[in-house]
This record gives sequence, structure tokens and C-alpha cells, in this order.
Amino acid sequence: MKLKTKNTTESLEHTRHWKFWLITLTLALFVAIFLSLNLGYSSISLESIFKIFLNKIPIVPNFNVSELESTLILSIRLPRLLCAALVGAALSVAGVTYQGLFRNPLADPYTIGASAGAALGATTAIVLGISFTFLGLTSLPIFAFIGCILAVFLVYSISRVGTKVPVQTLLLSGIAVSIFLSAIVNYLQTIAPDKLHQSQFWLMGSFSYTEWTDIWSVVVFIFGGVIAIYLYSRDLNLLALGETEAKHLGVELEKVKKILLISSAFITAAAVAISGLIAFIGLIIPHLTRLLVGPDHRVLIPASMLMGATFLMLCDSAARIIVAPAELPVGIITAMCGGPFFLYLMRRKKKADVS
Amino acid sequence: MVVLNINNVVCSYDSVKVVENVSFNVKTGNFLGILGPNGSGKTTLLKSVSRILKPQKGTILLEDQDIYRLKTVDVAKKMSVVSQGTMIAFSFTALDVVLMGRSPHLSRFATESKKDVEIAKKCMAYTGTLNLANRLITELSGGERQRVIIAKALAQEPQVLLLDEPTTHLDVSNQHEIMGILKRLCTENKLLVVGVFHDFNLAAHYCDSLILLKKGKIVDVGKSEKVLTSKNIQTVFGIETLVKENPITKSVFVMPILTSPQTHNRNLTAHLICGAGTGSSLMKLLIDDGYTVTSGVLNLCDTDQETAKFLKVPTAEEAPLSPISDSAHKKNLALIRKANIVILTSFPFGKGNIKNLDAALFALENNIPVFFINEYPIKNRDFTQGEAEKKMITLKSKGLVFVEDNVCLFNALNNLCFKTLTDKSMSSDKISVPTTLAQKSKGVN
Repeated sequence: MKLKTKNTTESLEHTRHWKFWLITLTLALFVAIFLSLNLGYSSISLESIFKIFLNKIPIVPNFNVSELESTLILSIRLPRLLCAALVGAALSVAGVTYQGLFRNPLADPYTIGASAGAALGATTAIVLGISFTFLGLTSLPIFAFIGCILAVFLVYSISRVGTKVPVQTLLLSGIAVSIFLSAIVNYLQTIAPDKLHQSQFWLMGSFSYTEWTDIWSVVVFIFGGVIAIYLYSRDLNLLALGETEAKHLGVELEKVKKILLISSAFITAAAVAISGLIAFIGLIIPHLTRLLVGPDHRVLIPASMLMGATFLMLCDSAARIIVAPAELPVGIITAMCGGPFFLYLMRRKKKADVS
Repeated sequence: MVVLNINNVVCSYDSVKVVENVSFNVKTGNFLGILGPNGSGKTTLLKSVSRILKPQKGTILLEDQDIYRLKTVDVAKKMSVVSQGTMIAFSFTALDVVLMGRSPHLSRFATESKKDVEIAKKCMAYTGTLNLANRLITELSGGERQRVIIAKALAQEPQVLLLDEPTTHLDVSNQHEIMGILKRLCTENKLLVVGVFHDFNLAAHYCDSLILLKKGKIVDVGKSEKVLTSKNIQTVFGIETLVKENPITKSVFVMPILTSPQTHNRNLTAHLICGAGTGSSLMKLLIDDGYTVTSGVLNLCDTDQETAKFLKVPTAEEAPLSPISDSAHKKNLALIRKANIVILTSFPFGKGNIKNLDAALFALENNIPVFFINEYPIKNRDFTQGEAEKKMITLKSKGLVFVEDNVCLFNALNNLCFKTLTDKSMSSDKISVPTTLAQKSKGVN
């Protein structure tokens, strides 16, 4: 088909605007990293931080820094903040994926039973007092990971009708399975009251005991999942038109849905395993990022990743500082900052729409 | 030349057959419309043609290839579909949405090139939406959004365009604009367009051929004049319609006639003396109310005569634009003699039809009550230099009952029937008008 109309020439403006945001958000992430390293009960100057990092590079001559500060930065603060960044990025990408897949702004990484599954896994490990290590991970994160994956697959297989998985059914069975699993968690906590504090603390989410091994053991899952999802970002755009429409535009619907669901389940499980349940990130970061960069998943996914990483890292720093030397569970901070900020953005956008 | 072949397609949900042995062919440059009542399988048929619902039996061939054996993306390169009421979840710009139409032509890792943007913009210009390019799709009106979605379908550069009720929920100007775009796509760009529609007249005007579906089966297929007949529409939709030709566009024009629930037969005959369209609606109302209706004298081609013919009302007829001849007048009197009541409407009188007033007088003289619907003053419709007015005065003196409009007429008729029923005088030939009723009607007047 050839159309006889005037020729209009204009470059792809939006890709330029994408680059701007991705560069800005990357810079923000690095600023946040140094800020988080600097902040804490014992403040370490930015100069010392740079020296410590330069010492790690073989060719550069060694600077004189205190052993204590070096250990604090490299073995305690750095793994902790990188872990927060990783979890923030993972939950945000999973949130973007679920919101796109379900065409539902209220979907988040925990929508289809992931959180309840992880909670049950972790609580089981705590209550039964199981303790072992595998690939550098202790039993608790492994149980959480398995619980999360099993719950998602349970929901998925319940919702499957023939070869199709209708999203409405997926959402509904997600809710039903979550309620059921949460009841078991509550039951386990009731019969083992001495373990209540420990399991409750895990459920609130925290990075207090993060070590490098935690990061190494989940990073593959998270990056693998993110890359898989990113490859299907254009299909996520087409899904915004509805499933049938996407199919009409050449999307292999059921295959793509399966890939997206499995990838985001693994990302979520990996994140939950090392951090516990951190609420709100997966819900608000996608919305926040969409307000900045627009709804196109090709930019939304990397931008949410950067945004989620930065946001959770700063929240974790706040959790360390506010009641220092004690700590708050980071989930409290995310919910406390995220909620009002989200509402503010929503109100502002509404006003802009009206005027 | 692209041909879409639908061969013996059978679709069913569970065990209920929704589409049964449907076969048809469409060629490049043709605009085919599918019509049928709700639940007749139109959308299901379109779904199976658009590779969403695999038929249980039969094949759908595009350029001699079974579309269910092709890859989703390969079908998307040849065929685009505009579904019913597409809602877009996030606030993409209109241009973004149209660019999504380029997706089947892009590899997984590619982003849209300048060429893709150019194609998208051309398609937007074609549907008159280029000025909306940077607006958010969620903020557009229904008509604007539909045209953007059609632009998206065109950006796929398809050979076949399928549409499911593309004009539903749109105002009349948007309906014609969209149908005009589709028609141009067929004639200028040699696209093959198949659409499901609900509006007979819209489809008849724009489509090259039509398919009429009932309960999943094709009732008729062909040009609109052949398919859209009163009989076919009665069979498929179960409603009475008057099918005419639009005098200006010459396309088929279907007018539904509202049918009220069938009442009892009153065994009463009403004779209508009318003309110039003053009696058409009354004819229908009387028939619906259980009367046997006759009329006369009417000139051929008069609106009332056409209505009488359509409603199969026995009529004393006269040649077009001719004065009432003695034979027509006699036939009219014969009909009046058989009637229980006569109704005279407010139509204009000239030298040609003045005899109709004599007919009314004849009725009164034979003790048949005559009701006169006094809607327009006689002065304004007397073109006989006062002759008609004089005759009206005579009629009045002989007991002509004046009623203000159709509602008053039916009230008067009902009172009369009630009266006759209680008098048990139904079998008597003539009915006498109770004086009270005549008085009352005059009072209204």
C-alpha cells in the first residue's frame, strides 16, 4: 500500500529525550552511592572514600587510609548499599512488567502471590529452625526464594485454561493464593511465639546483615531476568493496546506472557530472598518513572531500574541514620516516603491536566 | 491481486455453533460489509478471519496460504485489524500508538527508523490526525482516537484491513468520515476491507457488497440492493422496514417501521380519506390498533398512496396528478359503503380532489360516522375559491365529528367501540355516533 501525502521530515525526538533521562538518572545513582557511603553513624569523608577505592586499583600508588574505615566502606557499607540498589532495581523492573502485562496500575511485584510465598518460605525456615548454607546463602533466603517461585507457579497453573493464561484470572487467583498462604504464615507464627520477632522482622524487610555473598548469589537471576524483560519491552508497549490487539500486531502472546511472568518471578524471588518484603517500591517507582520518561517500556525499564536503585539506596541510608545507632526496617521508610510523594505527584499531574 | 478465501468455516464456543459453514471471497479493492443482529456470529467470524479464533472446520486463505499456518508476525504484515473499542492502558502519544503499527516490520532489537516515522505520519495525514501527533491518546475524543487507531492499522502497510464495528459510538459526521476513509483505501490504495456494521444505510452507501448473517449462517450476499430487502431484513432481524432509494445518493435506504404488539382484530373497517402524506401515520396506527383499513381516492405516487401500497391497504386509486375520475370516485364510494367509520384528514383541496369531500358527505348520508382531524384550518388549504370551505360547512351540519389530532381521534374511537360493545350492536351494519361524544369533540374543537 502506498499513500499519496506530503512528505514530512522530523527526527525521532523522543529518543533524544530518553538519552537525557537515562544519563541524568545514572548520574543521580552515582551521587547517591557516594552520599550513602559518606553517611552513617561514623561519618567518613568523601576524600577517604575516594582513597579507599583508588587503593583497590592495582596500578595506582597506595594512599594512607585507616584500616577501620576501609573495612567499614568495603565490607559493610558498600555491599549493603549495592544490595539495596540491586533490590530496588529488581523490584522496580518487576513492577513495570506486571503493570504492563496486567494493564493495571495497581499491580506490583507481589501481585500474583510472590510476597506471600516468600513469607511462607522464610517463616517455615525460621519456625522449623532449619539452618544450612548453599552457594554462600543461608537457609532463610533459599527458603524465601523457593517459596516465592512456588507460589507464583501455583497461581500460574491455577489460572491456566488450556494453553492460555487470562490475566484477570491470574490476578484473582493471585489474591486468593496470597490470602491462603498468609493464613498459614499467621498460623506458624502463632504456634511458635518465640520465633515471632525474628519472622516479623524479616517480613518488614531490611539490609542489616547483607554481605557480598548475598549479592553474588542473586545477581545472575536479577540481571538475567531484567535482560529477558528488556528484550520484550516493545511487546509490553503493544500489550498496552490489549492482548488481542498485541496479537494482531504480531506478538506471540502466550509465549511472551510466559517469558515475562517467569522472568519477573525470578527477579522478585531473588530480591525478596536477600532483603525480605520491601513494600511500595515496585508500585511507585514505575509510576514515578512513567511521569518522567513516558510510558514507552524501552526507556521505562532502564529508567525504572536506575530510579528504583537510587531510591531504595537512599531509603536504606535514611533507615541507618534516623535512629542511629539503632536501625529502622527499610520497608517503613519506603512506605513513609513513597506514599506521600506519590500522592503529591498524582495531585500535581491532575492540576496540570485541569489547567 | 490479493484474494481472501473463506471456505466452509465453522466456529463454536464449547458445543454451541456460532458460525456455520460460512464461505465467501473478497478481492483487492473491495469493501465488504457484514451485517446481522447481535449474536449472529459477526464478531466471531471476524475473529476467526483475523487469526484469533481457530475455526473447528474450514480454512481461511490469504493469497492461497492458510493464515493459521503462518506465523503471527507474518499475518500482521499482511492483515491489520481494528477491534471494537480499543482502550489504551497508558498515556502514549498518538504518534507512539501509530508507530506501534510498524512493529511487525521491525526485528526484536530494532527501534523505529526515520522511515518508520515518515510512514506513521503519512498514515496520520491520511486519516486527518497528523495535528494530533503529540497529543496523548488517553485525552483524545472517541472519533479522534478511532481515526488514530485506523492510522495505526494502516502503518502496518497491510493488504487486508478488518474492522469490527468501527463506527459504533461515533457521531454521524465521524461515522461518515471514517467510512469515507475506508472507501478511499479500497478505491485509491487497492486495499481489501472487511467490516462488521450495524447501520444498514451507512453500510449500503459505502460497501461494494454485503453479507447478511443470521445465527451464524449467511442469509444473502451481494450488492446492497440485492441484500437489503424488506423481506431479508424481516427474516434476519424480525422487524418491518420500508426500503427505498435515497433520492439524492441513490443508495439503498432502510427505514424501520415500529411495530406495536399485535392487538385483537376489532372486526371494524376504517376508511381514510386523505392525501399528501396526511394519512400515512394514521394508516399504520389504525392497523396496529386492530382496524381493517381502506383508503381513497389517492393519486398514484402520492405519499399516502405509497404507504397504502406498502401496508397493503385497499385503495381507490387515480392516475398521477389527475383529477378524480368518476370510476375512481365510484370505487371509493364502494369502499366507504363497506366501512364502519370514515376518517377525513386535513389535506389540501384543489379542483382535482374536491370529489373526496363529496365522498365524505356520501358516508354521512349513509349513517356512517365521519371523523375529521382538524389540524390545519380549511382556509389555508382550500385552493377551490371557497368551494371546499362551503362543502365543509355542509358536512359539519350533517354531523361531521371534529377531533383535534390522532390522540383525540383514538379516544373518540375507543369511546365509540365501548359504546357499541355494551349496546351489543356489533353486528349491526352502521354505528351511530352518540350525541354526547359529538358534543364533546366539538367542545375540544
